Amino acid sequence: MIRAHDVTFAYATRLPGESSRPVLTGCSLDLGTGEALAVMGPTGAGKSTLSYVLAGLAPRHTGGTLSGSVSIAGRDLRNGPPEIGSVGLLFQDAATQLFTTTVEDEVAWGLEAMGLASEEIGRRVEASLTAFELTTVRRRAPWALSGGQQKRLALAALWAMRPNALLLDEPLGGLDPEGRAEVLAAVSSLREAGTTLLIMTLHSETARQAGAFALLSDGQLSPAMPWEALVEQEAALIQTGLLFPSRLWPDLGPRGAVAGSIPAIEVKGVHFGYPGEAEVLHGIDLTIPQGQFVALVGRNGAGKSTVVRHLNGLLRPRSGTVSILGQPLAGRAAGTIARQVGFLFQRPEQQLFSPTVRDEIAYGPTRLGLSNVQTGVDRVLERFGLQDVADVPPALLGYGAQRTVTLAVLAALATPIIVLDEPTVGLDGRGLAQLLAWLTELREQGVTIVLVTHDLDLAARADRTITLDAGAIIADGPPAAVVGGDA
Amino acid sequence: MTVTFDTYVPGSSLLHQLDPRVKLWATLLGFMAAFMLRGLGAQALFLAGIHLMLVAAGVPWHRLGGLWRQMAILVILILVLQPFLRPVGHEIFALGPLQLTVGGMLDAMRLALRALGIAFVVAALLYTTAQPALVSAMVRLGLPYPWGLTVSLTLRFLPAIQDLYHTVRDAQAARGWVAEGPLFRRLKEHLPVLVAVMIGTLRMSDQLTLALAARGLETTRQRTTWRALRMRQLDWGVALGATLAFCLLAWWQFAN
Repeated sequence: MIRAHDVTFAYATRLPGESSRPVLTGCSLDLGTGEALAVMGPTGAGKSTLSYVLAGLAPRHTGGTLSGSVSIAGRDLRNGPPEIGSVGLLFQDAATQLFTTTVEDEVAWGLEAMGLASEEIGRRVEASLTAFELTTVRRRAPWALSGGQQKRLALAALWAMRPNALLLDEPLGGLDPEGRAEVLAAVSSLREAGTTLLIMTLHSETARQAGAFALLSDGQLSPAMPWEALVEQEAALIQTGLLFPSRLWPDLGPRGAVAGSIPAIEVKGVHFGYPGEAEVLHGIDLTIPQGQFVALVGRNGAGKSTVVRHLNGLLRPRSGTVSILGQPLAGRAAGTIARQVGFLFQRPEQQLFSPTVRDEIAYGPTRLGLSNVQTGVDRVLERFGLQDVADVPPALLGYGAQRTVTLAVLAALATPIIVLDEPTVGLDGRGLAQLLAWLTELREQGVTIVLVTHDLDLAARADRTITLDAGAIIADGPPAAVVGGDA
Repeated sequence: MTVTFDTYVPGSSLLHQLDPRVKLWATLLGFMAAFMLRGLGAQALFLAGIHLMLVAAGVPWHRLGGLWRQMAILVILILVLQPFLRPVGHEIFALGPLQLTVGGMLDAMRLALRALGIAFVVAALLYTTAQPALVSAMVRLGLPYPWGLTVSLTLRFLPAIQDLYHTVRDAQAARGWVAEGPLFRRLKEHLPVLVAVMIGTLRMSDQLTLALAARGLETTRQRTTWRALRMRQLDWGVALGATLAFCLLAWWQFAN
């Protein structure tokens, strides 16, 4: 069904003088009808590129050069794109592949492109919405759905086209535990229905569903192995940077808050709602002593990101007060609060704009008027191992390297309080190890850390864990009491 | 990048249910009417009528307020500059070559109301017409499908780019970015934000290209439509009513 032989692919170079380095080198795979295979690899290994090649999108729409052969359902992709509907691709960020205005129109779009009769389109839309449990949200806008629902909608739209094979690029990426469970159930039903599946993933739980896996590392694909061999391969997976099991994590354990000092963060009776919309935070009270490490957990939409955006003035409460190191934030611009509160946003690609990594790191300290900016930048470049890419535009780096740059940007600000919004999303083992090492350093320096996360292993290592639900704090205490201890 | 919203406000009002071709026709008539109306009272009434229609169709007030905020800069510029560009009638004061006159001020108000009228007429179409219906209407009126889709996606993604701008601005503010001081300095301060937005927009465009190609935009097959457009009696009635109303308005404006 999916056959690739000796596939080598390189993107066109984007920098003058740069040589084109293949992302995939001599990759071969053979997946029969009804079979499933998980391709596991660390960030930057080439998983998304492999899915683009197999879906006939690369190099056709991405540029670059391809050698070797790829065929889908017997059609050689060197002779043209795959037959419409023969192969479906679930993007890593499913929201980017949804472009109509209602759920049912999204499912119908591909069927209209196939030229099906309207009665048949109607039948397939119904069947697909039912199969992926989307009938109750059929008239909602795709962007108003949860992350798990968006992934299911993208799957429903692909499945409606009755593809010979489905390629799923990181189907669990960026989802909360509830969303992951939804998508795993959908993948499981596809598997039971005998759909040919190729799943690109960082997660062993997805690989287990496929029953077999192959490793993609440095652009090279290993032969397929049965799922059971994954345990034997653990050392190799750690070595390639794919895994970093929680038993190997450094001790981030309680250091204790700085006693007797003013609180780092004090939130009193905060109510908040976006203009013209219903209230989403209902009286948040929170006092965080200096040096404490706090994890905020809760389902998507619980209000975690909304709470932390009040801590650096990006959002202002309808009522109530927020103080940082004893100073109320009312009347202060977010840009000035940045001296005290560093903030890591979720999407690195939206934050990077400078011509070089060095300039990117220097931007914040320069804006804030810190002294010895260049010395600080050099120190941070060295700390995060970015010296080799110091003069490269950060926008051209891979996802993993961009995440490292965003950590370095934050470290250069040297703020006494750091807020991290979902810092582990999309991180492979190597990225996670780097983040944990940095958090350990921050703990030793007495920096106050507020971390929003779905990762209960990480939340269990905080001094204190707070659970939010529907815009209110419903649990607050030691991790062992709130999330069940060291998970 | 996550595409978070578009202009369409889902609903099942009469306006929502009208055939999009009728709405396109009514938009064209409304556009011409906005240019045709000369009296301030008539223009204000026209604008109020569109507001009433949108509220009756279930468009929330904050969406209307949002459009007012977006139009505010243009309206202020017109009200401030236009009186000096065309000074007619009774002079209120003069400063060198600059003259502020009653006629000039009335002209500026007319122009501002016209701009608002046009903006809300177009908003009435976009707020109540889903993207696929808009594309279908354009294609049925003779536009090639890729062109119709391009127009529709542009309208769909412009707010997404605005959303991206806010996200990037927040991220920059968290690193000490503050835009204050004189206008030129503030514009210069926006440069890093605009660069990041531009990069994000290009990425969004790349992803959209792949998403459309992956679901068969390039296919040579004849595209079909799930819900074929069909003019009902109500649609014909509204089209006829709008045309008659426009003709009466034209007669009233030009006969007096």
